[in-house]
Formats: sequence, C-alpha cells, structure tokens
Amino acid sequence: MLKIWSMKKNEDAVAKKKPKTSAAQIRVQKDLTELDLPDTMKTHFPDPNDLLNFTLTITPDDGMYKGGSFVFSFAINTNYPHEPPKVKCTQTIYHPNVDLEGNVCLNILREDWKPVLNLNSVMVGLQYLFLEPNADDPLNKDAAQELIKNREHFLSNVKQSMRGYNIKGVQYQNVMG
Amino acid sequence: MKVKIKQWNAVAQWRWDTGNKDAADDEEGDVCGICRVPFEGCCPSCRVPGDDCPLIWGECSHVFHMHCLLKWIGTAASKQQCPMDRRPWATAERRVDNAPPPTT
Repeated sequence: MLKIWSMKKNEDAVAKKKPKTSAAQIRVQKDLTELDLPDTMKTHFPDPNDLLNFTLTITPDDGMYKGGSFVFSFAINTNYPHEPPKVKCTQTIYHPNVDLEGNVCLNILREDWKPVLNLNSVMVGLQYLFLEPNADDPLNKDAAQELIKNREHFLSNVKQSMRGYNIKGVQYQNVMG
Repeated sequence: MKVKIKQWNAVAQWRWDTGNKDAADDEEGDVCGICRVPFEGCCPSCRVPGDDCPLIWGECSHVFHMHCLLKWIGTAASKQQCPMDRRPWATAERRVDNAPPPTT
C-alpha cells in the first residue's frame, strides 16, 4: 500500500515529463485493432503517426452503387468517443443521404451517436447507405425525390453520376475505380 | 522432508464485483463500454485504478467507469441516456450479491 501512495505522489511529475497519449488516441487505437472490415472497405492513413485522420474507401459489391469507389475522410477529435468522428465524402456524388459538399446523413454520426459505438459500426453504417439509400430525411432532395418517384430513373441517374456526368446542372465526379 | 521457509511473498488480486458472474466467459463483459479499458484498469483521465476511479451502476444494469459515464452524461448529445440502451440514466444502488446482511 505504501508503495501505491508514493506512486501517486510521483504521478504529477511523470505526467509533466511524458507527452501524454490522449484518451481519444487510446480509444481509436483499440477501435482500429478491432476493425473487422469486409473486402469492400479499406482504410488508408496518409500519416501513419496520425491515427485520428484517415480515409475509408468503400467499393460496394452489390446494389445500385456497385462498381463505384467512394472515399470518405474521417477526422476524430479529442472528445472521441463522447463525440462522433467527423465523416465527409471527399467526392461529389449523387446520393439522397450525401449532399454536394460531402456531408453525410447517417443517424449514428449525428443524433444517435453514443460512446459505446466504435469506428467499425460507423463504417458498416456508411456501407449500408450505398446498399440501401433512403429517401427519408434526405440531404440531396432532388436525389431523394427521384428515388421515391421513379426508382428506375433514380438508378440511371446514379449510374450516370458515377461516370462523371452532369445531372440537373450538377457536375458529379467519376468514381469508377 | 523438512521444509524451512526462508522467504515468502504475499500476492493479492482484486476485481470489481460487477454482478456479472460470466464476466470471464464474456470478452466484452469486463471492459467499460465507453473507454474500452477493463473495469479493473482506470478511465483515461486517471492513472491509478481502484477507489479513486470507481465504477457506476445504472438501473438498466449497465456498468461504466464513473468518470467516463459522468463525462458522457455531461454532454448535451447524451440527452442523459445510458450509452448502451438509451434509457434515461438512473444511477442504481451498488448491488453486492452474496453480501452478508449489514450488522448495524
């Protein structure tokens, strides 16, 4: 017991000397080692020393977005896991739940975030958006309207947008890897 | 054969009684769901585990490091809900199973 008390006294001194790894970094490290991604998702770390900023590439092997290669940026702040990671699509894509600036509407990235979720849950959630785009609570209202009104036409818009065509005056990005 | 004890070292182990008897079988059962550090470790803002970094029990039966849970409850986004099941957080009396009845 005595040893523990003296350890405690030294705590502050130690804390000052050592550059402290933040709680967010520790948690992200754990999340990353527990990642269990299907072949359709790959992470990329531009700076291997910075675990808090990376990209995720999703290449859906099914659904309307099959054949595309979609790149999302992840930025995790020091409040993680109390705040969700900031996730943006780096491309201009035609999707009811992604706006033209790349903001993503996914419940667990917003109002339904909770700290027991992890990066794996976010990534699986993102992939799900490509398998099941949903027209409720849309960020791209034109795309959502089209999905409701005419699913066939929506699908053809998706295919065209993925090849980099212009739809209703918006220039989309070619995402055919 | 006579044995003479020249030296001995006492070793003790402790763990929180989370009321989860299957914790050993359940890999997720004995880590804090918020920081993912074992309950017997301490939350990321502490350095010494034990009484200074205790656990907190919810009436929903979920257990966390107290500091982790209070930090979450302190955020507006939490809406004061349990991070596991989103029920309104209510701190429960600590359950001590098999404890002898209080003598006083």
